[in-house]
Amino acid sequence: MSTDDAEREPSLLALDTGGTMTDTFVVDDGANYTVGKAQTTPEDESEGVMRSFADALDHWNTDLDTGSRSLEGVVYSGTAMINRLLEREGEEDIGLITNRGMEDQLRFGRGIQSWADRSYAGRLHAREHEHPEPLVPRENIRGVRGRMNMSGIPTIGLYEDEAREAVHDLLDRGVRVICVCLVYSYLNDDHEQRVKEIAHEVMAERGEEVPVWLSAEQKPIRGEVPRMNTLVIEAYAAEPSREQLHNVRDAFRDQGSDAPVRVLTSSGGTVSPDHDWLADTMLSGPIGGIFGGEYVADELGIDNLVCSDVGGTSFDVGLITEGHYPTRWDQSLAQFLVNIPMTAMDTIGSGTGSYVRVDHTSKRIEVGPDSAGYLVGASNQDADIDTPTVTDCTLLLGYLSPDEFLGGDIPLSLDDAREALEREVSGPLDEDVHETARGVLDIVERDMANELRGLILGLGYSPENYTLISYGGGGPLHAAGYTRDLQFQDVLVPQWAAAFSAFGTACADAAYRYDQQLDAILQPDFSNAPIVASDVQSTLEELEEKATDAFERDGVDPDVVEFQPALRIQYLGMLDDLEVAIPPEALEGGFDGDALRTVIDRYEEKFDQVFKRAAKSPENGYQVTMAIGVGVGPSAKPDIPEEPLGSETPPEAAHKGERDIYWDDDWHAAQLWQMRDLAPGNVIDGAAVIEAPATTVLVPPGFSAELDENRIYHLTEDDQ
Amino acid sequence: MSILNDKVQREKDQVRENGDPIGWDGQMLQEMLAETERLTEETGYYRGLEELELKEEDRFQYERLFSRLRGALVSARETALHVSASPIVREIGELCFQIYTPEGDCIALSTGIIVHVHTGSLAIKWMIEQDYEGDRGIEPGDIFCNNDNDLGNVHTTDVHTIVPIFHDGELVAWADGVTHEIDIGGAAPGHTSIVHTSRFEDGIYATCEKIGADDERFQDWKVRGERSTRTPQYWDLDEKCRIAGCHMIREAVHDVIDDVGVDTFKQFTREAVEEGRRTMESRVQERLFPGTYRNTSFAAMPFEEEGWKPEQQRDRLIHLPVEMDIDADGTMALDMEGASPQGAHSFNAAEGSMTGGLWVSLTQCLLHDGKVNDGSHYAMETHFPEGSITNPDDPQLSFHAPWGTIMPTFQSVWQNLSQAFFTRGYREEVVTGYSETSDTLQGGGTLMESMAQLIPDEIGDYFPIGPFDLSCQGLGASAVRDGLDYGYAMWNPESDMGDIEEWELTQWGTQYLSRQIKTDSAGHGKYRGGSGWEGIMTIMGTDELTLYKGAQPDVTFSIGGMSGGYPGSTKYTVRAHDTDLQERAANEEPYPIGDTPPGTFEEDVDGDIVRHHRGNYFPKEFDNYDLVHFQMGGGPGWGDPLDRPIEKVVEDVEEQVYSPGTVESVYGVVGELDEDELTFEIDEAATDERREEIRARRREESMTYDEFYEQERERVEEGDVSEPVATMYERTFDISDEFAETFADFWDTRGGF
Repeated sequence: MSTDDAEREPSLLALDTGGTMTDTFVVDDGANYTVGKAQTTPEDESEGVMRSFADALDHWNTDLDTGSRSLEGVVYSGTAMINRLLEREGEEDIGLITNRGMEDQLRFGRGIQSWADRSYAGRLHAREHEHPEPLVPRENIRGVRGRMNMSGIPTIGLYEDEAREAVHDLLDRGVRVICVCLVYSYLNDDHEQRVKEIAHEVMAERGEEVPVWLSAEQKPIRGEVPRMNTLVIEAYAAEPSREQLHNVRDAFRDQGSDAPVRVLTSSGGTVSPDHDWLADTMLSGPIGGIFGGEYVADELGIDNLVCSDVGGTSFDVGLITEGHYPTRWDQSLAQFLVNIPMTAMDTIGSGTGSYVRVDHTSKRIEVGPDSAGYLVGASNQDADIDTPTVTDCTLLLGYLSPDEFLGGDIPLSLDDAREALEREVSGPLDEDVHETARGVLDIVERDMANELRGLILGLGYSPENYTLISYGGGGPLHAAGYTRDLQFQDVLVPQWAAAFSAFGTACADAAYRYDQQLDAILQPDFSNAPIVASDVQSTLEELEEKATDAFERDGVDPDVVEFQPALRIQYLGMLDDLEVAIPPEALEGGFDGDALRTVIDRYEEKFDQVFKRAAKSPENGYQVTMAIGVGVGPSAKPDIPEEPLGSETPPEAAHKGERDIYWDDDWHAAQLWQMRDLAPGNVIDGAAVIEAPATTVLVPPGFSAELDENRIYHLTEDDQ
Repeated sequence: MSILNDKVQREKDQVRENGDPIGWDGQMLQEMLAETERLTEETGYYRGLEELELKEEDRFQYERLFSRLRGALVSARETALHVSASPIVREIGELCFQIYTPEGDCIALSTGIIVHVHTGSLAIKWMIEQDYEGDRGIEPGDIFCNNDNDLGNVHTTDVHTIVPIFHDGELVAWADGVTHEIDIGGAAPGHTSIVHTSRFEDGIYATCEKIGADDERFQDWKVRGERSTRTPQYWDLDEKCRIAGCHMIREAVHDVIDDVGVDTFKQFTREAVEEGRRTMESRVQERLFPGTYRNTSFAAMPFEEEGWKPEQQRDRLIHLPVEMDIDADGTMALDMEGASPQGAHSFNAAEGSMTGGLWVSLTQCLLHDGKVNDGSHYAMETHFPEGSITNPDDPQLSFHAPWGTIMPTFQSVWQNLSQAFFTRGYREEVVTGYSETSDTLQGGGTLMESMAQLIPDEIGDYFPIGPFDLSCQGLGASAVRDGLDYGYAMWNPESDMGDIEEWELTQWGTQYLSRQIKTDSAGHGKYRGGSGWEGIMTIMGTDELTLYKGAQPDVTFSIGGMSGGYPGSTKYTVRAHDTDLQERAANEEPYPIGDTPPGTFEEDVDGDIVRHHRGNYFPKEFDNYDLVHFQMGGGPGWGDPLDRPIEKVVEDVEEQVYSPGTVESVYGVVGELDEDELTFEIDEAATDERREEIRARRREESMTYDEFYEQERERVEEGDVSEPVATMYERTFDISDEFAETFADFWDTRGGF
């Protein structure tokens, strides 16, 4: 919980360096937290980081010198890399070598890049599609003849003279790095390796030296366009941050901290700033909440948890099923197709800042996809916004206090909200303004519920199998609305909901993840199981070695590193694979045909679960598409608060008064409660609003919220 | 046999016990359909719904219902995709789910390929008209299948699965799922064959058949699928995918009815259709300038040399005139009187195919907020003349590749709409047209023995060829900007070329040697069309392989550009058999990676090289190390090329969109290209001179309209046109007196050619 004004010793620090502000989240061993803010300093990010940390420490009446020494871990996440890509301010002079004849594939972007990241309407409206400007100009791309086939067999040998000429040309053009991506190199990287050797020979002759990067070394995964993009993005946007990361680490060292400084990846672990590749850290911020959810689920013994985050611009959802969250590759980054493993998270463009309008043709209310973001809405006295937003609706309905939004930092005007909604929405529709405001929330919350339902059903489960946790600035305000028609086991609202994503970042494991595409075919009668198993075995050994090496570089004893192997498998001919963890016992004594059968059995079970509506097809045989090896090292974790339970009746001191709220077509007198004065065990009956500077929990009529020993509210509808 | 789903079993028991009609309030479906048609016809509102009571009284519940139903369709699609196997369905998303009223009017549809708004509708109405209710029987748990275009479909490889949804003894809705199959049997392998001439060559036809009951497919149906396609595994998995999705939609409808009651649900479905009609009318009023707009597209079928059957061995030209009336009240009519007659080829397009093309076009420019349904259909009148290629009356013809008719036709539709947008002031909405999605390869083959051993027997060693990288064509220009390069398919704006590493995993015996920009394919103009691209494939590791290629535009343009813009390039063929690729590779000698400029392919390979200005060829055998070229086209341009800013022309050359020779002759821009640095240095004096020459030639060649008309009229009178052109008009006169008269009036001539 947010606990200011007391002297405390920080143990963990999570950083989020945004485009304008650097946020810090600091936790102590007693699960107390505080937050700090400072302007981001793009020239040397470490300055803003230290100022933000100092700001946080100020709340605990301590200073940088003292505060740094007690730190056990620092986790960095930031937007510098992705902004570099979005704003095209990365480092240029990249050379690219690919197959001759395929040099244009980078700019083609598979066509998909012209509409990726667009709204549904934008995807249909072809007239507005546009390719992103390619990161490497065509004249810096050279082709070399030669081909591997789909089994990794070289059907046309590499044209070495062409390779030599390509390297000369690129060096003549003054490139600072040469990226190499050849078709099917993930199955056989001989040609890529040979290009690298040739490049080194040429550079030796010329007395020059630039790094040569191979796609098979970075991401040996199927799909030459995303593989090529990811390698190029590493050079353009990720690698340029390495120096900044080192600066941040040095700044903590200078303050006397010996805590490891690690960078959050989109697949859930943290890596050292010295890690070979940084592309996996391109995008990490919004996913933090899911790691927090996983940690909470693990600590509290919850198997299946839905993580739902209502932010200013979007509603983000991730599922933790049987303790794990899935990873996906099929995502794009700033319109570019990449093969960066990302924690699966679905997003819809409705958040608290989403604009509300009427389509004058269809007389329909439309919410989003654009948003006022941090400007909040028409009610914000400090912003010049005419179009009402979702927050304006919640304000009108009495759910928010106009004087205490973000602790009173942003003064809101009820009149302005009403006027905007009347003018833009309820007036044109000839509807009552409050009914309209509630109607807007119904639409938004119904969309959120649809998203949740679709996601859960898509995994072969139903909401009854899941607990839901709601966080983000707007989560606790909308949780009742978007969960009421779905029968979740429980709905949790942590008291630290507003800072939950940062909390999650601090929860991330120190982990190195390596993926290797295999595409090995297993006959339905398992006749070739020993061969496939041996292939898997040697691949896993390579992956484990890579992970061990990475930890050794970080100075971590390999004996304390846990290796977590998994395979991705599909029925041959199907196009969607599933990830199946390899149980430790299957690896004892080597991965053999029997071990493979055990893993296939697990795959079959999982297939039943996920795709229960479809028939299994074991008669087609199987394809082991990918081997995954994750090395997990020790890392400090925040504690979840644990306090003794007290009385159900909340203390009188916490009662702030009464305000009318609109719910289910009527006004109700709601009790107002001060969050920080409520004690574990207290039960708040609706209609009520629980207020804190950064969060407001809505407990509608017919609902109640019980605060448990972990400072988590359990939101329940009474007749359920 | 019992149904796993208890609810459906109870519904079935109830329907059987009642023995009543399954329509609402004791009506037969035929009565419901007749009543709906009558009320709509009489009042101009769907079922006479002058007031949208539910929407007006409880707007928010209405919106929630819409969002929930649409959510269910989208989520059915997402889930069903996971269990589908065919690369087309999975990678290109060629899957769509719809929900219909009992009488077959579409209420809402999922994301995915939107051509099918009205196709399932036609099939359902046909089943009702044929009294499936009284005869074949329509019961809870039944499964129907249709791919007969004549009864309601786009092309035969689009296969529909249709499932009735009941509540309390009444049919409350239909769920329909469509996927595009890579192969359905047929005389030639492939999904859009140019080879077929009759229904008897098209492969499997499911003619609104009942293929299952109690939620299970009939055994005989499954056996038929297994034995009648070249890719039975894909056929089976795609069918499972459609059924799974329909069943999910059925569950969602049951849930909705449990929540809001059946009366509200029924009222909602009616109002949603009427609302769709009103939305369409308002959009037309808002964005299109009223008037009558005319244009004509042409489709070439130069099959004289290539055709297999005597009746197809002709060089045909197809006439596709489109007249659109846009009324100030928001209604619209589309009239194709004067279209060429149906024929012995696979381009025959049923009414469902043509309306499919209409909806996929309108959802990209007028209705892209995704709230399209059959209401839009009621806001529009269409006339596709019976017996013409746009509405054949002979079901025994081939309907395998109606896209050959749809794609050119809708170039005219887009240009008509563009004029209407432009006149209203929406310059940015202008779409001068597009390159049609053709010219990729189709076929199939078997793997050579050493490689086939790796593949489990159940999968077999047959591989289909039908890469959907054809979804990335050039889009036409607008009146404010250039067209999108290599990224557009008129039937699905969510284009995807797919990775080479994905396509080769299913198309085992082929290897790409290139995918590169096709210089000079984009249509010229002040705003140029989007560029196309070209590729070379070689054959490796096959035992036998057949490939063929359809092309559009083939030997003639389908349509011109707008306001002085040029069309995109036409297509052509180059292939090499019996080549020296193996020796070249061994010696590191160059092999072809394209044919730019055309004619250079031969420089880098020896063998039996076939080059033709025709874009198509019929199935040929290919051997290992043979090479084949294919090309995606560019979109048409807008405006006079001389008005294009010179710096844009420089960019075009530096980006290899145009060659220096082309920009000199078309744009009058003279300069030198450094091919290594990709910089184009302008010679300003030569440019000024060249542009003046072009202007002088224009002045010289210009004539008044009257002179031009007289000159052309003489040609018409003397029959001074090529044989395919003369035949095209004469055959059209045979089926349309109205067109014959219009033609004669216009040219002031009697008796045609």
